[in-house]
Amino acid sequence: MELTKKILSKLIQAVSKSHPDEIGCDECYDQLDTFAQMKLEGKAPEEAMPLVEDHLKRCRDCREEYEALLAAMKNLSNGT
Amino acid sequence: MINWFKRRREEKSSYETNEEWIDALSEPVDEQAVGILRQKLIQGLKPALYKYVDRELDQFVEDVAQDALLKILDNIDSFRGESKLLTWAMKIAVREGLTELRLKRYDDSSLEEFKHPGEGGRDELTAITFASDLPDPEQATHEQLALQKVLKIINEELTEKQKKAMNALMIQGLSITVVAEQMDTNRNALYKLVHDARLKIKNRLEVDGIDPDDLLNRM
Repeated sequence: MELTKKILSKLIQAVSKSHPDEIGCDECYDQLDTFAQMKLEGKAPEEAMPLVEDHLKRCRDCREEYEALLAAMKNLSNGT
Repeated sequence: MINWFKRRREEKSSYETNEEWIDALSEPVDEQAVGILRQKLIQGLKPALYKYVDRELDQFVEDVAQDALLKILDNIDSFRGESKLLTWAMKIAVREGLTELRLKRYDDSSLEEFKHPGEGGRDELTAITFASDLPDPEQATHEQLALQKVLKIINEELTEKQKKAMNALMIQGLSITVVAEQMDTNRNALYKLVHDARLKIKNRLEVDGIDPDDLLNRM
């Protein structure tokens, strides 16, 4: 297995940005609908819920779910 | 009197507020509301999941909506009203759909290397070699140094489980859903495991007087 410069950089960056207050996937999921609702209403959930925003930057699976949720709700509001 | 209330419920044709939805989806469940919710889930799931699906989208989305509906009805009491009920319900449906897709995307054979590391208990991470196509010999020295430092810390500070998780998630880039399944744990526990690992590395770098930003700048 080769560790490329890109992967090593990402690993060191992830380490550098680590902090004890990070929330896990369960806590993020619990608040995800609230976070998404704020976004859909044109508010700034990143400011109101920074720990959720932080987790979404770190966790690809949670971020995919968030983006899929936004796409789903936008489709409903468009009525298409 | 009870029949009158039942008839009143049956006459309802739309569900707008959270209170109306909660009332309709709580026992005794209003089947009309369930039908409307199912259609909305299907309508939302299609654009949300189409790019992940390599099979019949319509059937898959209907199956996901049905599975999600069971969870929604089972957990309606846990809805706190901090969002619209549809958003909360769609969150459950999206998780249901994406989880199924992720787990089906990776079969056991693709994770054989992950499940069975090299013989003799050789550490997966220390077995990693650095890419050899570095253009600048001077740069290669800095990067090799960074790699050696980080790998040394990983070997000395992390548990075997943490090394396995770091390898799978951060180096191989696998889905946390899939890795949790393979490690017989759950996403949250796995995230916490890797979070702890990252903090250990960060703390050790600090103890050794190494600034991670400085490491990055030298690379």
